Amino acid sequence: MSEARDELVVGAVAYSANVVPIWEGIRDYFRDSAEPMDFVLYSNYERQVDALLAGHIDLAWNTNVAWVRTLRKSGGTARALATRDTDQTFQTFMIGRKGGGLEGLPSLAGTRVALGSRDSGQARILPLWFLERDGITPKDVELVIFDSDVGKHGDTGRSDLDALRAVTEDEADVAAVGSNTWGALLAGGDAATADLEVVWESEHYNHCNFSALDTLDEDRAEAWVSHLLAMDWDDPDQRRILELEGLRQWKRAELEGYASLTAAMESQGIADGW
Amino acid sequence: MSFALVSRLIEQVGATPAGSTCLVSVDGPGEVEVVATWCDSTGNVVLAVHADAVEIHRGRVADPIAALPEDRRPGYRLWIYTNFHCNLACDYCCVASSPRAVPRVIPVDEFGELIDEAVEAGVRELYLTGGEPFLVLDLDERLTLATSRLPTTVLTNAMVWTGERRRRLERLPREGLTMQISLDSADPDLHDRHRGDGSHAKALAGIHVALDLGFNVRVAATMGSDAGTEEEKLVALFDELGLRDDQRVVRRVARQGVANAGLSVSRASLLPEVCVTADGVWWHPVAAADPAMKVRDSWRPLRATIDEMTDELRAHRLRGDVLASTFPCA
Repeated sequence: MSEARDELVVGAVAYSANVVPIWEGIRDYFRDSAEPMDFVLYSNYERQVDALLAGHIDLAWNTNVAWVRTLRKSGGTARALATRDTDQTFQTFMIGRKGGGLEGLPSLAGTRVALGSRDSGQARILPLWFLERDGITPKDVELVIFDSDVGKHGDTGRSDLDALRAVTEDEADVAAVGSNTWGALLAGGDAATADLEVVWESEHYNHCNFSALDTLDEDRAEAWVSHLLAMDWDDPDQRRILELEGLRQWKRAELEGYASLTAAMESQGIADGW
Repeated sequence: MSFALVSRLIEQVGATPAGSTCLVSVDGPGEVEVVATWCDSTGNVVLAVHADAVEIHRGRVADPIAALPEDRRPGYRLWIYTNFHCNLACDYCCVASSPRAVPRVIPVDEFGELIDEAVEAGVRELYLTGGEPFLVLDLDERLTLATSRLPTTVLTNAMVWTGERRRRLERLPREGLTMQISLDSADPDLHDRHRGDGSHAKALAGIHVALDLGFNVRVAATMGSDAGTEEEKLVALFDELGLRDDQRVVRRVARQGVANAGLSVSRASLLPEVCVTADGVWWHPVAAADPAMKVRDSWRPLRATIDEMTDELRAHRLRGDVLASTFPCA
């Protein structure tokens, strides 16, 4: 289907009104390229994955959870084309109150652990998997769950914040929080962070990527990706887009960074859907 | 209203995506008021007022206070430090109480006025603490007054109920009064290590006295990093005493007062629990001797004090909401 269109159509999820100027900027950047594009916004990632699989869009800006699902539902034929530099160094932190004496995942046995939305890789799916990998099953802890903004795969940061506030409100001893949310609170000078500390941090894993099906013409995909990778931090107009999107440089996607989430979703039986 | 300022507001806020914030420079309190009025009438929210700028959130936001359970909102509960002196000198005491502490007893007349204002301000329950409240000889009169107006809990080590104090204890109302008695461990070692030799046996005896006299008893443990598996043993003791879930409290030591270790706390990381002492109003009873946690020198008027604490909490929560929502993953 994609060959019949003049422009490549990229899907993205409208988790916030702020996404509109970002995608308008990216569309403008591609206007005079070999592969101009337009974008379509979806209300949630499940809808977007279905749209990609149905051929309604050529590319999808997917979360890591949406990517794993896309790959699974496409029978392993989907491709991850590009990602942000910041997507390759994503982490989950376990945050507790300073002075609580917790350090490392084994120390969390018997504690109250706050987790975010069920579709958030960083705040729920991976933390559960990391805990189990270290021998801490859900029976060994008291889980305090915040299913906030389900459908956005944790993009709004809401469930991370709800989990973190459970710690400050003494409803939990630790909270699983994505490195992006923790970083935003630190960078913004949130005063409560002074009383909190990272009691454990995960290894890096990958977050978002531009996903496509194998039906997308390889030459067109390569032309589009090449132009994307050429976006320049030193160009003021292009830098504005990069800053809004939270990166310095676009990268080609590396699939190893999705191994932990893939394993987590398979072990939790959510690779195909909830 | 300043035309130039309003023009700047329209331009800057108009260019800010909904859900994001912008800083608009202001010159003095007059301009801050203009910004507040403009925001209120245009559906935007003032997040914070800085020295020379106002931080504005584009669009309305849900009130974070309304999202809290009713019993966690500021002013639901009023804590009163009746006094600061104590028969014990626990090594983790968050307000450094001891037999040598200056008593700082709230005068009985002021206590009555405070209760009146608390009822008027919509407070739903009272917590009296210290120091050891029962060292205040007329505590029975205060508790009788308090329980006649609002459900009241008094925190005690249950060790001073002898002689005249015992007779006054027996005269206390049972209805609407809860005795929250401190007991840190099932075995004496841990408790006595922090609270003094022999204090465990006396506290346990006090629990039985209160239960035998028909009081509603809640047992509260404060645990530090050396508690180990003590909580499990304590739960077994709670079961033995026949305590319901709402009659058990286990909390961690805070790094406040004389505690040289424990949980780090501040106004930003604690939900406020309005706390009145003879010295003023404090953000939370766990830090009623920490100058950084002092809200006001006087609780009068109480409603305005509660509102001030609510506004501070709201501003902090709104700011956190905005920061956490800036996840750029479009």
